[in-house]
Amino acid sequence: MNKTYLLQTCEELKGFSDKSSEEYDTKSDKLLSEINAIMLKRPDIKDLVGEENLLMMQDNHANHIRFISSILKEFNSEVLIETILWVFRAYRSHGFSTNYWAAQLNTWILVLKNQLSTESCLEILPLYNWMQINIPIFVKLSDDKLKSPNN
Amino acid sequence: MEIDKEIQDDFFKHLLLGNKKQCSIIVNSLLNNNISIKTIYEYLLKTSMYKIGELWEYNKISVATEHLASAIVEAILNENYLTIISKKQLNKNVLLSCVEKEYHQIGIKMISDIFEMNGWSSYFLGSNTPTKDILLFSKTISVDIIAISLSIYSHLPELLKLIEKFRLEFPETPILVGGQAFLHGGEKKLLNYYNVIYKPDIFSTELFIKKINNYE
Repeated sequence: MNKTYLLQTCEELKGFSDKSSEEYDTKSDKLLSEINAIMLKRPDIKDLVGEENLLMMQDNHANHIRFISSILKEFNSEVLIETILWVFRAYRSHGFSTNYWAAQLNTWILVLKNQLSTESCLEILPLYNWMQINIPIFVKLSDDKLKSPNN
Repeated sequence: MEIDKEIQDDFFKHLLLGNKKQCSIIVNSLLNNNISIKTIYEYLLKTSMYKIGELWEYNKISVATEHLASAIVEAILNENYLTIISKKQLNKNVLLSCVEKEYHQIGIKMISDIFEMNGWSSYFLGSNTPTKDILLFSKTISVDIIAISLSIYSHLPELLKLIEKFRLEFPETPILVGGQAFLHGGEKKLLNYYNVIYKPDIFSTELFIKKINNYE
């Protein structure tokens, strides 16, 4: 499984309604504050993100919510995949473990279920589930670039 | 015409070291050898800044080094300003800006210079400019084109908001859009709007300006 597979499966996700993307956008501050609170309480957080990276993790969550908000409004599978790959490379290079992504996405799913309406969850959660089940592919593709002799 | 790899590497080495003087000497030496400013912008400064971004991505340099490199490149742009502006001035104004929350202004600053090289008066508002202020300022000049840069895709909603608001006040004025955000696509969305033009680089932007200049 490779980028072509990601592109094909990602294309099936599009079609978010204005209502659900608006709700996601409107509640972004609440979503952000809840995910940060939950993640910061984890006893293993420094193992997941690295000793000095708690602020960087919170920046990532803020960027995540802005980016996903844009994607819900203007869906573009190539931009989504390339951006996730960039995030994997950049944050792994800065000391984030591969387990962080599963922990983070599990928590986003929990937070979305807590904060969003059932209708919006039904539309948006498939995107998060897609990111979640494809973590091994994103790790593998980012590994290829991280191990490239030019880096 | 591209720039020799050896010169690119030498410039990049000094950029990483924060050696502003040497970077400036290299650029001036290229200009003295009749390398065009557009070539220098596209194949030296832009490629160097993309490489700087990649080095941060791979944790090879700190944010401090990245900021220092940006400051040097901006200083070089300012240093050569008087030599590049056109002697022949047209009665044309372009307003250039980054959208709200967008802090990467080097690309749009280069585009500002390309307009000035072609006889336009540039009004460069810089990074992170609130939409309402871009609109207010547009009303204070006779704006012929508005040019907006986007380096991060997450800021696309701010760009679309700006386009929609600008269109209400200026129904016909062309809106030129570009930037690294569209490296992997997304620009097609812009075509849904009337008279919004996407240009991916300096050369295509200059062709677009020249076409307007010849047409009028």
